[in-house]
Amino acid sequence: MHRLDPDISRAGVRICSRCIYDERVPSISFDSEGVCNYCRQVERLTAQYGTGAPEGEAHLAQIIEGIRAQGRGRRYDCVIGVSGGTDSSFLVHWAVEQGLRPLAVHYDNTWNTAIATQNIRKVLAGTEVDLHTHVVDNKEADDIFRSFFLAGVAEIEAATDLGYAYTLRRAAAKYGVSAILEGHSFVAEGITPLGRNYFDGKYIQAIHQRFGTRPLRTYPLMTFSRFLKSAIVDRPKFIRPLWYLHYSKEEAQDLLRQRYGWQYYGGHHLENRMTAFYHGIYMPQKFGGDLRNNTLSARVRNGSMDRASAWAEYNSPPTVERQLLEYFLKRLGVSALEFDRVMKEPPRHWSDYPTYKRRFERLRPLFAALAKADLVPMSFYLKYCFPAKAPE
Amino acid sequence: MITIIDYGMGNLGSVVNMLRRVEAECEVTGDPARIASASRILLPGVGAFDAAMERIDAAGIRQVLDDKALHQRVPVLGICLGMQLLTRGSEEGKRPGLGWIPADTRRLPGDLGIKIPHMGWNVAERTRQCPLTERLEGEIRFYFVHSYCVQTDDPRDTVLRTRYGVDFAAAVQRDNIMGAQFHPEKSHRFGMQLLRNFAELPC
Amino acid sequence: MLRTRVIPALLVRDGCLVKTIRFGRFAYVGDPCNTVRIFNELEVDELLVLDISRDRAVRGPDLRLIADLADECFMPLGYGGGVRSLDDARAIFATGVEKVVVNTAAVARPDLIGEIATVYGSQAVIVSIDVKRGLLGAQTVRTGNGRRRTGLDSVAWAKEAARLGAGEILLTSIEREGTWDGFDLDLVHRVADAVTVPVIAHGGAGSLRDISDAVAKGGASAVALGSMVVFQKRGMGVLVNFPDTLSLKGILG
Repeated sequence: MHRLDPDISRAGVRICSRCIYDERVPSISFDSEGVCNYCRQVERLTAQYGTGAPEGEAHLAQIIEGIRAQGRGRRYDCVIGVSGGTDSSFLVHWAVEQGLRPLAVHYDNTWNTAIATQNIRKVLAGTEVDLHTHVVDNKEADDIFRSFFLAGVAEIEAATDLGYAYTLRRAAAKYGVSAILEGHSFVAEGITPLGRNYFDGKYIQAIHQRFGTRPLRTYPLMTFSRFLKSAIVDRPKFIRPLWYLHYSKEEAQDLLRQRYGWQYYGGHHLENRMTAFYHGIYMPQKFGGDLRNNTLSARVRNGSMDRASAWAEYNSPPTVERQLLEYFLKRLGVSALEFDRVMKEPPRHWSDYPTYKRRFERLRPLFAALAKADLVPMSFYLKYCFPAKAPE
Repeated sequence: MITIIDYGMGNLGSVVNMLRRVEAECEVTGDPARIASASRILLPGVGAFDAAMERIDAAGIRQVLDDKALHQRVPVLGICLGMQLLTRGSEEGKRPGLGWIPADTRRLPGDLGIKIPHMGWNVAERTRQCPLTERLEGEIRFYFVHSYCVQTDDPRDTVLRTRYGVDFAAAVQRDNIMGAQFHPEKSHRFGMQLLRNFAELPC
Repeated sequence: MLRTRVIPALLVRDGCLVKTIRFGRFAYVGDPCNTVRIFNELEVDELLVLDISRDRAVRGPDLRLIADLADECFMPLGYGGGVRSLDDARAIFATGVEKVVVNTAAVARPDLIGEIATVYGSQAVIVSIDVKRGLLGAQTVRTGNGRRRTGLDSVAWAKEAARLGAGEILLTSIEREGTWDGFDLDLVHRVADAVTVPVIAHGGAGSLRDISDAVAKGGASAVALGSMVVFQKRGMGVLVNFPDTLSLKGILG
């Protein structure tokens, strides 16, 4: 999305009356009140899950009791994915307060920053929680990143996202844990539209096979069969406490700061250099995309920011770590010339490459049942098992 | 733009690296013509005093440097040996220095039971406000490697003071002539702030 | 005066960061450049990188990798691994490295130490000594990443290295390395007592207490940390970290 006038009254595009998603957001529609379908989805989910209300908390209390019971006699009763960010850090704190015995799990794509590792260290030290890490071989990680870069698609982070998901599942299986807690909050983050952020095992495999040069030995590739085996045989349940609890990122950050000395990374994804590259350079420059409207909209919805300020921030340039581009080029062995050439090539879309998308759609009833049983995340079901809108 | 003087001594790569990290434009040159159009000069140096002064003369840049420093009065920053070269002379050698600040370079005391060279991180105390040392917060520390140190005639020319056996000038500033005895390029956040300050000086 | 130095010691093998236990059992830790960049962000005072790839001694140092690492470092960097000659040292210093670490080559040809020290100064030369106890408990020196016995007594070799011009001794206990069981304080003490150059205790650090013991009881001038800076805790996951300044000040004063 090319940057527009930061003054919301002169934006020149239709903007949701409640948040700041505008008409360029994939699959967006506006109702008679000018409210977008994404806001309505948050409303529906809030009602459905009783978020921040007694029903939600009661339901969650039940779930926790179930986790505690199932975990008795084992070293850990749940697994929590940690990144050093606000949501996962808060979740560890919350879980320990609830009397749970979590194992923190981290997927290290070898592009972490000190803020991320420091935050993880501090929160886990303060809560006395153990950490399990899967580190992928740096050369493999870079081979995959390079493949996606050369493939011209937006999802340069796909391998990290999938690697994370599978690492959580594998850690749960390894330690005999039946519950995976995720820090996702549809209130704080919204449900990202399935536009240019697709990821599945076939997609990653296909792109790597086409553009990669090294075999994948340490990368945790979740193929369809591994996915199903984990969901149906190992059956860890996916719980998203923040879907039930009242949750505000700002309050969470204050608490984390005071209790653990946790540090905010500035909302510019400075906790992982590849994520920072993706948001600060790759998306804006190649795809005209900017996903900051996601969290900014969430803040507008929960009242912690006004629409005008959110729109202004969205339409100002993102901050990037100094020499981030040089670092990217150095790691991936890409010259400045080649970088320019690839960046100028027309963007490709995930549907240009082999994926499991059709299969997910065909098996919707199965995934509906699995989602209902919390064996796959509900957000996965909602995003992947329905036909996506054609690319623009 | 910072013009780094290349006279064949000193590891310029690390300094250039840090300047790039703080996004300060810089060039490396030993060409008198290029130096003549410099707006800011950085004089590096690692090694022996006499050898450095010889090289500067041999490179034919002494004149243009004097002109830039003393007449045109562009901001000049001498680093490590480069700072010692700014003085009248050093106990290490026989040749006179550039003489751009009234100060002498003396041997660090070898008879106090402390190891020479002074090598490692040490604390620097701010002795007066100065644009070169702005925004250095908390306990100010730098990485030092040297066997000789500078003591200025006028205490006000010393802006950062460090103690190692004796008190000496960790950084100096007299008008447009500045110096840092430590290695800013090895002093992470402190070095970066100092170089940033130098890069932002009006010229 | 100068504080006690606490130095992360990173092991590189075939371009990857690894960690060993007793010089064996390699665990994969991450990307060398990114990890050095993290330590830069953490503002550690000094860093050691040792390349333990199998045939470094034959192939010599990987200058491209060293340059990449030096580029990320805005604090003094010491490099070791396959430093065979003055030429190797020269090439390494040219990348911006502050100190070279010599081990196997120095035992094979001790004059190497003086050759490098004469040109670059003793303070730029660290002699690394890996020690394993022999059958009768004697602490003897090993080279070739611990694989070759030399028969040399560790204290005698340390004294000789210092005499020849070593600016510092990096003293590693092979038995303690990667175990979190604490330094071999007896070894540290015997060597620190015998030489006037700084001794960096390495191998076995598991806690802040171990760090202060190395100094207070072992007489070490500095401490190198391995497992402590790359794992969350003993037996748990990879997490690049460094003890915070306050904690270090608390134990080291």
